[in-house]
Amino acid sequence: MKSIFKGILGAIIGFVVGAGGLSLIRLATGLEPWKREPGIVIGYLFALTGWLLGVGVWDYWARGWFGLPVRKYEVTGWRRYFNFDPDHKVIGIQYLVTLVVMMLIAGLFAMVMRAELMNPGRDFLDPKEYNNIMSLHGMFMIMVAVTVISGAFGNYMVPLLIGAEDMAFPRLNALSYWLTPVVPILLLTSLAFQGWDSGWTGYAPLSVTNESGQIFYNLGFMTLGLSGILGAVNFLTTIIALRAPGMTWGRLPIFVWSIFSTAILSLLATNFVFVVLLLVLLDRIAGMGFFDAARGGNPILYQHLFWFYSHPAVYVMALPGFGAALEVIPHFSRKPLFAYRWAVAGFLGIVILSFTVWAHHMFTSGMSENPLPFMVTTELISIPTGFIFLAALGTIWLGRLWLKTPMLFGLAVIFNFLIGGITGIYLADVPVDLQLQDTFWVVAHFHYTIVSTQIFGLMTAIYYWFPKFTGRMYDERLGKLHFWWMFITFNTTFTPMFWLGIQGMNRRVAQYLPEFGDLNRWVSLSAFLMGASFLVFLYNLVYSWARGPQAESNPWKARTLEWQTSSPPPHENFPREPEVIGDPYDYGVPGSVHALIPVSGGSTDGDVVATSVALYPND
Amino acid sequence: MKRDFFFAGLLWIVLTFAGITLVSQINLFPLSAAHEADIIDEAFLFLTLLGVPVFAFVLVGLIYSVIRFRQPGEMPEDGPPIRTSRPVTWAWLGITSALAVFIIFNPGLKGIRELTANREPDLVVQVEMRKWNWTFSYPQYGVAVVDAQELVLPVDRHIRFEVTSTDIIHSFWIPAFRMKVDAVPGQINILYATPTETGSFEDDINLRAQCAELCGTGHPRMRAGLRILESAEFEAWVAGQAAGSP
Repeated sequence: MKSIFKGILGAIIGFVVGAGGLSLIRLATGLEPWKREPGIVIGYLFALTGWLLGVGVWDYWARGWFGLPVRKYEVTGWRRYFNFDPDHKVIGIQYLVTLVVMMLIAGLFAMVMRAELMNPGRDFLDPKEYNNIMSLHGMFMIMVAVTVISGAFGNYMVPLLIGAEDMAFPRLNALSYWLTPVVPILLLTSLAFQGWDSGWTGYAPLSVTNESGQIFYNLGFMTLGLSGILGAVNFLTTIIALRAPGMTWGRLPIFVWSIFSTAILSLLATNFVFVVLLLVLLDRIAGMGFFDAARGGNPILYQHLFWFYSHPAVYVMALPGFGAALEVIPHFSRKPLFAYRWAVAGFLGIVILSFTVWAHHMFTSGMSENPLPFMVTTELISIPTGFIFLAALGTIWLGRLWLKTPMLFGLAVIFNFLIGGITGIYLADVPVDLQLQDTFWVVAHFHYTIVSTQIFGLMTAIYYWFPKFTGRMYDERLGKLHFWWMFITFNTTFTPMFWLGIQGMNRRVAQYLPEFGDLNRWVSLSAFLMGASFLVFLYNLVYSWARGPQAESNPWKARTLEWQTSSPPPHENFPREPEVIGDPYDYGVPGSVHALIPVSGGSTDGDVVATSVALYPND
Repeated sequence: MKRDFFFAGLLWIVLTFAGITLVSQINLFPLSAAHEADIIDEAFLFLTLLGVPVFAFVLVGLIYSVIRFRQPGEMPEDGPPIRTSRPVTWAWLGITSALAVFIIFNPGLKGIRELTANREPDLVVQVEMRKWNWTFSYPQYGVAVVDAQELVLPVDRHIRFEVTSTDIIHSFWIPAFRMKVDAVPGQINILYATPTETGSFEDDINLRAQCAELCGTGHPRMRAGLRILESAEFEAWVAGQAAGSP
């Protein structure tokens, strides 16, 4: 907790220095000393620096650059999670808890929106307030969706899955994490400045001309992007450089492949959204006019740059969810992952193609006389995506399906994304998109893609790895109850929205025509039920984490490396580096062994004779 | 194993037929009031008919496996070690690629061609959008309706809409025409439509012009009724407007 107080102190000092310094310069040049938006932006840059230095970068890291002894806070137990701790397992839990809390808050925003939409007219929110809540729901969920699986399980599980001791850059990893709690705080601060009403997309020129709350979206999104880029560098380096001996690319667990692909996208694409958000800020605080047509700017340019990141970002959200599903499905089908190499090719094909499809968000923008290239690339991206379905179906076919909660969620990822994928084909088709763009069809479609991959994928990962990261077992009956409750209500909430879209209800509206009232009431009621399903999840998570029965180290009898160490794993993960000698998913293959784990004799004794045991001795 | 393929295949055929029957029985679409709307509805319907067997295929794969291959109780034995199958993977690649390429041409390219085939308008209507109002102008008649509550169009004439905005981005959407185009400051975006039905917003809510791009507080209420008149009625209306204009 001490580091958080130091961080907050650093942020306050930073803000005063930054905003005060700007005021002094303005005063010296004869301007009025305080101008709100430049003051906040410059103040924030220094405040963020102060926060990072205070929270641990100075003590743990930067002191060394000046020849001073590095100071670590030696804390144990739960206090580690409030500390600048470079252990990837601590960071994984930090991400998990932060983002699950954000997800629940975003869910509450959704409940507020659906309450307003119960009736066609105005109930308790005026359109401005509705737009603020809608923007907050959108941006909170975008943050959760781009971060939660890779932040939580990428960090926690990737080093374990590849037999490494930690991430490649542990302190950078802690830095990436400690950037993230800043983002929701910034986004909520916007409410003190009339909020921002331009949605998570923040289209210019609206975002250049609206209230000052807008800049908190820009600053928050940029901070998130910074964290994402640093995290991506870390994942790529870790996966390339720290694989255990014998962990060839062809033996890499599929979840690691999904994080690898995601990291490529984050690293290469995030810069573009960073730039475009900066341009909007400069339009606002420096009057640059990048998006002002009257001054030679181009409003549509915003959308090109925005979607050049934000479409790949859709796959940043989807791929880890696919990865989690495809990771779980073979273990619970007791069969090798079918067409492993095709699934990997699917991920990499999506990575490449996703950079070429961005303008399918802009078919109605008047960007060009010829939208054809983007229709072609968008239709083609269904081919590598199809490989993921091939792998999933091929694995469960003739399998021995063990329908535990993680498996159910894994299969739900596939089912829900099927609907998300097929309905995306309509939007990729230029003529049909002219009607469906900006209607509830789009709302239903992207919830079917993003919630199904990232949120159902998150649940897959949480239930699957729960015994690993907590050392305890969740309640299976509550898990199944949560699954069926959430799965059914998710579908009854979002399927009717397709119909609303066809029937001509446009999105992002607080009020709508009375003709759409009945179906919206149904959607709202169903959404409330879906929201309630998270209470089951939350109870199971919290209760089982605190009081659940002790879990075995490998309750699923899975072959991959993370299960071949204790639960939760010791600081160094494995007593000694494991040696990988076979494929991870070869269930039923006689004599197949994934890895040899050197066993140490005692808990502390490091140099015991390397008695290599095969996990699955020849049978 | 052969039995499993047979029953799953049978289930797939049954579901596909049921789905296609359902899709062709129910009326998917709201009122269509333009030639272009029929092209777009046809594309939608075509994609749905193609989507049904695809959806049914994956659905059967999931449901059949879950019911047939589930093992109740404790952890099951290992299944058959099938790593991959060359015929299956290449067939999958071939079929999915063929489908993807096919829909690029039909309905994609075909639809675009049909929508842009006629670029010779009988009537030009300029649409100027701003927070949160509309101006509809008819330059051939020298008529401009400022702060319009209603957009008036003649039936059976090929209309070119020239859409722009004076402040931020809006979007000009007529649900009964199934088309929208954004109103972007400093730029004129074009949309062609040929109304085929007469009527007004009071008859059917799809006869309306609706802003479809988030534009701030007034966005939900930014709409204007659409009234489509017989040619002679339209001439009378526009003459009245011309006389009434200062």
